[in-house]
Amino acid sequence: MTYVDDLVTLLPELLLAFLILGIITTDLFLSRPNKWLLTPLAVGGLVLVGAACVAVWDINETVYAGFYRVDDLSVFFKASTVVIGILSVLFAPAYLVVRRIPLGEFHMILLSALLGMFILASSSDLITLFLGLELMTMPSYLLTGLHKTDRYSNEGGLKYFLLGSFASAIVLFGISWLYGITGTTNIAEIAASGLEGRMGGPLLVALGFLVVGSTFKIAAVPFHYWTPDAYQGAPTPITGFLSVGPKLGAFALLVRVFAEALAPIRADWLGIFLVLTVLTMTVGNVVALTQVNVKRMLAYSSIAHTGYIMVGLAAFANATDADGAAQGIESVLFYVLGYAVMNIAAFAVVGMLQRDTRRFGGLNSFAGLGSRSPARAAAMGVLMLSLTGIPPTVGFFAKLYVLLAAVDAGLAWLAVILVLNAAMAAFYYLRVVVYMYMRDPEDDPAPLDTSPFGTVALALSVAGVVILGLFPGAVLSLIEVSAASLF
Amino acid sequence: MLSLIVFMPLVGVLLLLFVPGSNHRAVRWVALLAALASLAFSLILLGYDTGGSEFQYREDLAWIDAFGMRYTLGVDGLSVVLVLLTTVLSVVAMFYSWEPIQTRVKEYYISLLLLMVGMLGVFVALDLFLFYVFWEISLFPMYVIIGVWGGPRRIYATVKFVLYTLVGSLLMLVAILAVAIAHAASGQPFTFSYEALRGFAYADTLQALAFVAFFLAFAIKVPMWPFHTWLPDAHVEAPTAGSIILAGVMLKLGGYGFLRFSLPLLPDAAVSFAPIVIGLAIIAIIYGGLVAMVQPDLKKLVAYSSVSHMGFVMLGAFVFNEQGLQGAIYQMISHGITTGALFLLVGIIYEQTHDRLIAHMGGLNARVPRYAAMFGLFTFASIGLPGLSGFVGEFLVILGAFRANGFIAAAAMVVVIISAVYMLWMFQRVFFTVPSDWMRQFWPTLRDINRNEWIALAPLIVLVVALGVYPGPVLEIIAGPVDRIIDAVNGAGLTGFGPLW
Repeated sequence: MTYVDDLVTLLPELLLAFLILGIITTDLFLSRPNKWLLTPLAVGGLVLVGAACVAVWDINETVYAGFYRVDDLSVFFKASTVVIGILSVLFAPAYLVVRRIPLGEFHMILLSALLGMFILASSSDLITLFLGLELMTMPSYLLTGLHKTDRYSNEGGLKYFLLGSFASAIVLFGISWLYGITGTTNIAEIAASGLEGRMGGPLLVALGFLVVGSTFKIAAVPFHYWTPDAYQGAPTPITGFLSVGPKLGAFALLVRVFAEALAPIRADWLGIFLVLTVLTMTVGNVVALTQVNVKRMLAYSSIAHTGYIMVGLAAFANATDADGAAQGIESVLFYVLGYAVMNIAAFAVVGMLQRDTRRFGGLNSFAGLGSRSPARAAAMGVLMLSLTGIPPTVGFFAKLYVLLAAVDAGLAWLAVILVLNAAMAAFYYLRVVVYMYMRDPEDDPAPLDTSPFGTVALALSVAGVVILGLFPGAVLSLIEVSAASLF
Repeated sequence: MLSLIVFMPLVGVLLLLFVPGSNHRAVRWVALLAALASLAFSLILLGYDTGGSEFQYREDLAWIDAFGMRYTLGVDGLSVVLVLLTTVLSVVAMFYSWEPIQTRVKEYYISLLLLMVGMLGVFVALDLFLFYVFWEISLFPMYVIIGVWGGPRRIYATVKFVLYTLVGSLLMLVAILAVAIAHAASGQPFTFSYEALRGFAYADTLQALAFVAFFLAFAIKVPMWPFHTWLPDAHVEAPTAGSIILAGVMLKLGGYGFLRFSLPLLPDAAVSFAPIVIGLAIIAIIYGGLVAMVQPDLKKLVAYSSVSHMGFVMLGAFVFNEQGLQGAIYQMISHGITTGALFLLVGIIYEQTHDRLIAHMGGLNARVPRYAAMFGLFTFASIGLPGLSGFVGEFLVILGAFRANGFIAAAAMVVVIISAVYMLWMFQRVFFTVPSDWMRQFWPTLRDINRNEWIALAPLIVLVVALGVYPGPVLEIIAGPVDRIIDAVNGAGLTGFGPLW
């Protein structure tokens, strides 16, 4: 097969790259009142990219001398990325426009981050992996600081950038140690290089750096300190993207590095993962309990959700048979997708209440929303229930999947810790419902954004949350096939 | 058929979405008709054939194949009576709400209808996963009902209610998964089917842990001492219809859970833990009675009497003999009817005076005699006067307790006297003494039971007398499930603790 033929397998990436160029070019020729046209253009483009993902499903090929792998797992990650991209593109413009944040740049930077996630998901070599990681995180720093005139946005962007580059360096350092030990950067070759039983100084260093760097990227405790500030500073719909997009990418990285390259020594990294998982769930929830700002609350709760997803990885590592291990990965995939849909929409609702630029997403702006805007309040209610994990929503099924994998892998105690955490989380999620339905509106209620794009995206997400919760069957079978490409 | 019963209210919800919220009359009618339709369909279940197969009117559809979750519905005698209790009380609650609820009417009826879906689903689901889904669905409408239409401390009460219940039910979810996985580990296909999972010899350690998890979920719902503290708060703050449903049906979800799941699924653990459960039940019976005696608030008094009465249910369930189990089920039905009616009656006076303090009442018999008569009827039913429904259940439970252990029965017996004390003393202070100064200011405007309230009360009056005089049909229909439970626990018991599974 020639290099040109291999291009076919890269169809989604190529389309996305063209889309980015198209956005830049179109932006030049649009006058300010017409900039909104970029949104349908980006959505249309992303739909095409999604169609291309369908086209490369079931190909399962490693191309370009082992640097790039288009397997079903990567396609699943890419398709989820497209979903995240479409929702973000629809939610953000209304918020950005009132703050005079340029739309052209936003679209271009966001799509670049998506391209990074694509590459990350498909990497079969640690070099590609790192490239993808950087292509994903660099635009994320920019997105955080996109609101140039806002101090918090600047602060968040700078913090995210400094700590994020630091973490990237740590990952890179870990990769170099791994290369030193195994003599290769190819993931499949590392997995086959017989790391079992070679636990010792060098491997420990490599493992340590990789764990620290990658758990930083998913914002696990105790490497989470950048999250609240970055999430609070970033423009709200962008926070929604940051809380799910780079997180999905980072979990793709975790799967590629730990569940693929380092799978043979999973018994060795399981212990530290268990500790981090318990810490992440618990600290995220306890701190979220004390937040009165919904945006910040969701930021901390996203840390807790990271912990829940890590339970799936722990189940993978602790499973005694291939079925159990696959189930762990499957639960991670389902959770990441479900979480993406519900969290991005939850942040978007917070953003809709910030039409008045002096609002910061406090609980008070939700007071009486049930009577002021029944449809949006109901949507937010469903999203909160889903984040809590109440049937029949996708959040419930995602938690159930993770629990199932954990119990099946003999980690029933971890499952118990998870459900106790979920019950704790119910308190702060339901507080939003309390404010919406059980309190009277403020004297000076926050004006609501009712732009059509946002409304459509919200309806789509809520429908997705409910439908995926009631009938997850179709997605489950896709996930099963995806996870199978690891084993 | 069962799907029609369960989802008729959901049809009502969907219709309500298209009714303008300002048209209260239309909203109420749509909701009531949906509930009535569900009630009408549920009456068909009276045709349950006691000589036939265990679960009848079955429905079985594929749902989530990957995990063997199926949409399986079916009823046995136990489900039939509880489904009927639910539909009757839901209709009563909706009818009663006609006048008292004037704000956010549409949201109110949507919540009530969703609540109905959840409760009915719990009683008919034969797949443990489906059961759990309905169990959780029944939680949040009540959360909204208390939180939006409740009293001054409603937010505290409703959050407490949800958090308590959620902790228990989430642990139960882990237990359900553990049981299903252990069953599958023996080489059987992965399934959540109740019929497949029961009768399987689970390892003792798993049984013990799973039993504790199930126990927490159900004991919080029942509620058993010491998990009862959410109940008085929830009842005091809930609107009247909420209290009717809460006491009438939601507490039975816990009792049903024990009888349907804890006992047949984990018989060894159930038998071994029975002494502890009986001990807690006795404490609940006595404690609830004593605390009820000193309550200044009418609703709180009825709430604590519920703790005591539901203690009887637990006692009957865990003595593992025919009389005890039949009494437990009968007591659930009877308690649902009498307590539902008592809350309704308390609501009638509360709507007029906006006060429930017993000290603020007095002499009402002179002003509203029909009201007093009805209150008296249900007071006596609650005490367990022969000829009314409460007697049959309590009598059977005590009989069953005697067969198990005389001392237990004696302890329970004492409480029958205590319950007479607190109920009659309350009745006397509310209806017979001199009217308080507080009550005098309402004296000219006090009205007796009006037409709507009569209609709401009528089915309860008929049932409380009929079930007291002629318990035969109910006992016959629940005999089958009772025998099966006894078969399951017969000779069971934990032998030792080995590895988990």
